[in-house]
Amino acid sequence: MSTRKIENGILLMITLVGAVIWIFPLYWAFVTSIRTENHVVSANAGLLPDMLHLNAYVESIFNTRLLTWYFNSIGTSLIITVVVIVSGMMCAYALSQMRFPGRRLLYGVVLASFMIPSQALVVTQFVLMNDLRLVNTWGGIILPQLIVPVVIIVYKQFFDAVPKEMREAVLLDGGGEYTLLLKVYMPLNWGITTALAIITFIMAWNQFFWPFLVITSENMMTIPVGITQVNDAFGVFYARLMAVALLAAAPVAIAYLVFQKKVTEAVMISSGVKG
Amino acid sequence: MNGVRLQSVDKYFGVVQVIDGVSMEVPQGEFAVFVGPSGCGKSTLLRMIAGLEDTSGGTIEIEGRDVTATEPAKRGVAMVFQSYALYPHLSVFENMAFSLRLARAPKASVIEQVNEAARILKLEEHLDKKPSQLSGGQRQRVAIGRAIVRQPKVFLFDEPLSNLDAELRVQMRLELTRLHRQIGATMIYVTHDQVEAMTLADKIFVLRDGVVQQAGAPLELYDDPVNQFVAGFIGSPAMNFLDATIARRTEGGIVATITGTEGQTLEVRVDGRDPVEGQAVSLGIRPEHLKIGEGGISVTVEMTENLGGVAYLHTRLPDGREVVVERRGERESRTRETISVTANPEDVLVFSNEGQRIR
Repeated sequence: MSTRKIENGILLMITLVGAVIWIFPLYWAFVTSIRTENHVVSANAGLLPDMLHLNAYVESIFNTRLLTWYFNSIGTSLIITVVVIVSGMMCAYALSQMRFPGRRLLYGVVLASFMIPSQALVVTQFVLMNDLRLVNTWGGIILPQLIVPVVIIVYKQFFDAVPKEMREAVLLDGGGEYTLLLKVYMPLNWGITTALAIITFIMAWNQFFWPFLVITSENMMTIPVGITQVNDAFGVFYARLMAVALLAAAPVAIAYLVFQKKVTEAVMISSGVKG
Repeated sequence: MNGVRLQSVDKYFGVVQVIDGVSMEVPQGEFAVFVGPSGCGKSTLLRMIAGLEDTSGGTIEIEGRDVTATEPAKRGVAMVFQSYALYPHLSVFENMAFSLRLARAPKASVIEQVNEAARILKLEEHLDKKPSQLSGGQRQRVAIGRAIVRQPKVFLFDEPLSNLDAELRVQMRLELTRLHRQIGATMIYVTHDQVEAMTLADKIFVLRDGVVQQAGAPLELYDDPVNQFVAGFIGSPAMNFLDATIARRTEGGIVATITGTEGQTLEVRVDGRDPVEGQAVSLGIRPEHLKIGEGGISVTVEMTENLGGVAYLHTRLPDGREVVVERRGERESRTRETISVTANPEDVLVFSNEGQRIR
């Protein structure tokens, strides 16, 4: 056997081990969710699926507020995505294409805000939301999540790359800044808009810490926060907990499978690998 | 009536002056070409006429209206860019219709005007295509079509053929000439290629360091340049310049001793009384005006470029300076031969050490 084949074999083994480590928690969650609560904690429960019991799913859907949490998550994530994309695009356009005093300073502020971890701002944001009487309101959940500097930075990078002649051609054709943004820059960057929208939606959907802090009313909880309520309501009922967790992750997982290429592109772009 | 008129136009980028008091007039319907080396300010001047650059001083008029402070879209100009600047996400039709749609022109009028432009430019069968599906020449035609539908008073072209290959460039030059005749609008064209300037222009403006060196008809500039820069820039191959000293005045001219030779001389026709004996000058002779014959300047042929109908002999004076000689119908290679070249006195131009023409 040639050295190359041995190398490929070893690489394949390492990849497979890595894949198993990654997939196992998901597999274990699924196996747990299709067992009865008693079987989950019994000594006979092995690694392989040994029953198909959907009671945990039925209980999760009909005896919790799962559908309300779904609705809340979809609503907040959509609003956050639309506002972040529209405002980020307009901000990036101004920073990239318009000349005004303080432009560089403003971009510096955007870059600086990108470097501050969101956790460091949580206490201040909570105090601010409390002062604004926005705790336990939709505004309280959404507002702090609208600050996504990476969207501005990525858009600016792409707008900077549009040849300046394109801008001048539009100006000569009688267009203004809105024409430029809406009819040239935005259509030229549909790909990046889609990618950024998907990743923003996923980030908003998966957001746990902030909604957990700012919302105490069960009716306003998003899915990730709602999972903690399942735990409280049923004690430590693992099958139901896993069923809710899988149902919570399902839309994102489906979205990922549908838009797999775009999501990968978005992650690469926003982490600075490409673009 | 003037199509475009500039009066004492200046442009500064910071403290650097790139356009220095340019005044010019381009009559309505004329094809003017700005030509000059890189960095001479020709594109800046064009962009100032378009309104894409502010002026630091002076005024710009288009068909008698002062547009110095008018925004680009309201100047009545259309511009064709070197990079075409087509909107890649729009079809050819939509690219050409873009300005009309922005102006909220009636749908029927948009279709009519775009179709008319497409007919003029032979683009009818490409109207549904995206720019990426077109060749370079077709893209440039779309860019021109986009300008035509606006029915501008002045067309501005910023090195529009630079991205095309040599063959297509020749073809597009002819098409531009035809288009100018057909439309009859004022056109201003920027290029660094003096062949384009000579073939397209009614009037050429030669620029250097932000100053117009000379303006005139192509052959006027070719035959009667005002300075050494224009003489050297217009014409391909470029004019030969030989350093010389005026040996003596003659009836209607001078005799100059060529520097770097063994006292060999050329007779030059000069009408004025300016040149004085002993003055150092530069003699300008076009390659086609040098003849091989006895009693001239001895040069050694280093290389022969034979293009079939015409051959260029790249020769060197004894001191190593190059002299190019044009020969029609030359078939034999004269490489490494020493030949004697001379020119008619009226074909030799005299320039002072400062580069100004001495007549």
